[in-house]
Amino acid sequence: MRTGKPTVAALAAVTGLLLTACGGGGGSTEDSKEFTAPVAENPSFEEGTTMAHLAEQGTITVGTKYDQPLFALKGLDGEMRGFDVAIAEIIAGRLGIPADRINWQETPSKDREKYIRDGTVDMVVATYTINDKRDERVDFAGPYYQAGQDLMVRADNESITGPESLRDSDAEVCSAHGSTPSERIREYVDNSRLVLFDSYSKCADALSNGQVQAVTTDDAILMGLVSESDNEFKVVGETFSEEPYGVGILEGDVDFCEFVNKSLRIAAKEGTYQQAWNATAGRVSDRTPELPELRSCS
Amino acid sequence: MQVLIANHGAYLSGIATTLWLCLYSGVLTLVVGTVIAGFRVSPLTPLRAFGTAWVTVFRNCPLVVVLFFMAFALPVLGLNASYFVFGTVGLALYTSAFVCEAIRSGINSVPAGQAEAARSIGLGFTQTLGLVILPQAVRSIIPPLGSVLIAMIKNSAIAGAFGVGGDLYMTGTRLSSAQGEAVVPVLIGVALGYLIITIPAGLLLGYVERKVAIAR
Amino acid sequence: MTEASTDSPMIRVSAVDKYFGSSHVLRNVNLEIPHGQVVVVLGPSGSGKSTLCRVINRLETVDSGSILVDGKPLPEEGRALAELRADVGMVFQQFNLFAHKSVLDNVTLGPTKVRGLSRNQARQEGMRLLERVGIADQADKYPAQLSGGQQQRAAIARALAMRPKVMLFDEPTSALDPEMVSEVLEVMAGLAAEGMTMLVVSHEMGFARRAAHRVLFMADGEIVEDTTPEGFFEAPESERARDFLSRILTH
Repeated sequence: MRTGKPTVAALAAVTGLLLTACGGGGGSTEDSKEFTAPVAENPSFEEGTTMAHLAEQGTITVGTKYDQPLFALKGLDGEMRGFDVAIAEIIAGRLGIPADRINWQETPSKDREKYIRDGTVDMVVATYTINDKRDERVDFAGPYYQAGQDLMVRADNESITGPESLRDSDAEVCSAHGSTPSERIREYVDNSRLVLFDSYSKCADALSNGQVQAVTTDDAILMGLVSESDNEFKVVGETFSEEPYGVGILEGDVDFCEFVNKSLRIAAKEGTYQQAWNATAGRVSDRTPELPELRSCS
Repeated sequence: MQVLIANHGAYLSGIATTLWLCLYSGVLTLVVGTVIAGFRVSPLTPLRAFGTAWVTVFRNCPLVVVLFFMAFALPVLGLNASYFVFGTVGLALYTSAFVCEAIRSGINSVPAGQAEAARSIGLGFTQTLGLVILPQAVRSIIPPLGSVLIAMIKNSAIAGAFGVGGDLYMTGTRLSSAQGEAVVPVLIGVALGYLIITIPAGLLLGYVERKVAIAR
Repeated sequence: MTEASTDSPMIRVSAVDKYFGSSHVLRNVNLEIPHGQVVVVLGPSGSGKSTLCRVINRLETVDSGSILVDGKPLPEEGRALAELRADVGMVFQQFNLFAHKSVLDNVTLGPTKVRGLSRNQARQEGMRLLERVGIADQADKYPAQLSGGQQQRAAIARALAMRPKVMLFDEPTSALDPEMVSEVLEVMAGLAAEGMTMLVVSHEMGFARRAAHRVLFMADGEIVEDTTPEGFFEAPESERARDFLSRILTH
């Protein structure tokens, strides 16, 4: 074919640009694991409870995300890191199960209730917002963290200080289509300034190359994006919704629920909760959260 | 059907966004496609090579790749525009390869003697194409061109995923996944919305086809 | 028609070679046609006579050699070539009238778009030419509604509307029914009588005898004989010409 060469060159140019486009901002800040949960020695539990069963078994299966930086991310070395991971390790430690005896089970959002109900996992710690609809199918201990919708902007942006500041600006805001945050933000920006993609990493790209001025979703996800951006971005830090993250367990297991809550309280009192935060999400966030007020288990 | 009635505002605005996207894209793609078709039959080798490369790239690249390139590569290269513009242009460029080939096949259906006669009386290339060849080619261009344009309207759903937002398909996604409406009725609404656009478009093309057929 | 061109021939073809793939269709062709001369090119099919006609306005390109029209070399593709073609009228075997335009619009297209004549001027001039070729009453019809002879006369009018310096005829009567041949030849003979420079590729012996000043006989891409009509028909020099004539005349 006569035009073979220019065609190949053109394709190569396109491919090159696409690779450049995708490759930006991949700098990882993951370093070695800094948090170790205390492990109880020979704890005793009432016969027949979930705790007794797990302690005797000496292992626990925890459902979590594998792709949520700062909260639950499986590294290339196979090591699990993040705040959700640390919370799970704290709970397991109270059962006398060390971190290396935990079976991790990847649990995407849509499978969380299913895995709990069919016994695939013993509990789910996976940026799991407590809400009524979910509460009908599973039970929640906690919450262990009060997440909320927030805004992420470029580190040098001083004009966007919270959702209210968006009203009078012409800033374009990016979120994931079909998500709850994308609906809530419509209170502050009209349709024409709302840019929707199928993933938040695309929003981060758009923020990086100046197509949008803010990205909005749960602060937990935003902090993860900040950590991957080499501090090109920052989280504004003013949440405008409440997304309590809970530990999902089998419906009706009040004993286990109370045990998880007790474990969280002790961790907060002893300072391991704060250590867990500082070793994970705390690295990109200025604040250290308090353990939120826990729900009753009945 | 209640979903349709309750959300008719969202559907109508989705139809409007899709319609505008397709109108702008349609005009742009007809212009670009015609120019590229002209390149492909040009006597100048560099223009022919450019035209062939253009068609090869855009016809063989998935639309998502073209749109991805528009939305994420151009800003990196310092070219910022609204995602609506990126979507419109991306859709138009992609479709232009098919418009070009539809026009080129029409051009090839006109006997070579017509172009020779036109050149013999001193008409330049552009005049030959515009005054003699294309008017005679239109009749055989319209049917394949119609298919290309209707495919473009349907492809516009993909542009919605690249930040255009608020088009018909994304309206459906929003209603079903963010607002928790049942999926099937929502999608029936989306399908009806596309039919509201494509069926009149098909009728219009049929009308043009008959009109062109008579003018002979 | 124009400046100082009388001392150079209207057409000069020098050492032209042309190949179609591996077949050598023009072999070292040399030809000069002075102003006002009418040349008829004869030869068996495949002899290269049509190609010779088509290279003169660059509908075909040559592989080597040069072609000058009225003293100027043929330009490359582009505006200059279009201008040259406007001065060289061409009539095709298949008429090639613009199928989407009326007969009159066929004739006025070039004058308005290339010569810059007003629409009115071009129509007046066009009607005059259509009258001259005898089809003024068909002016508003489309080509498909005309007989072959009428179409070819319209095609001649279209070429004449550009006021060409020279006319090329590529087998103008070969696609016509026999009863229509004479009406076209009559128009051509009229043109010849008025002093138009003409190169006619044709098998019409009668026309060659009656109207031509000169006859070329081509075979296998070469000009084999270059002589007067009388000379060619009465005393052809080459074996191939004699052979050709005997086959033509016995029919």
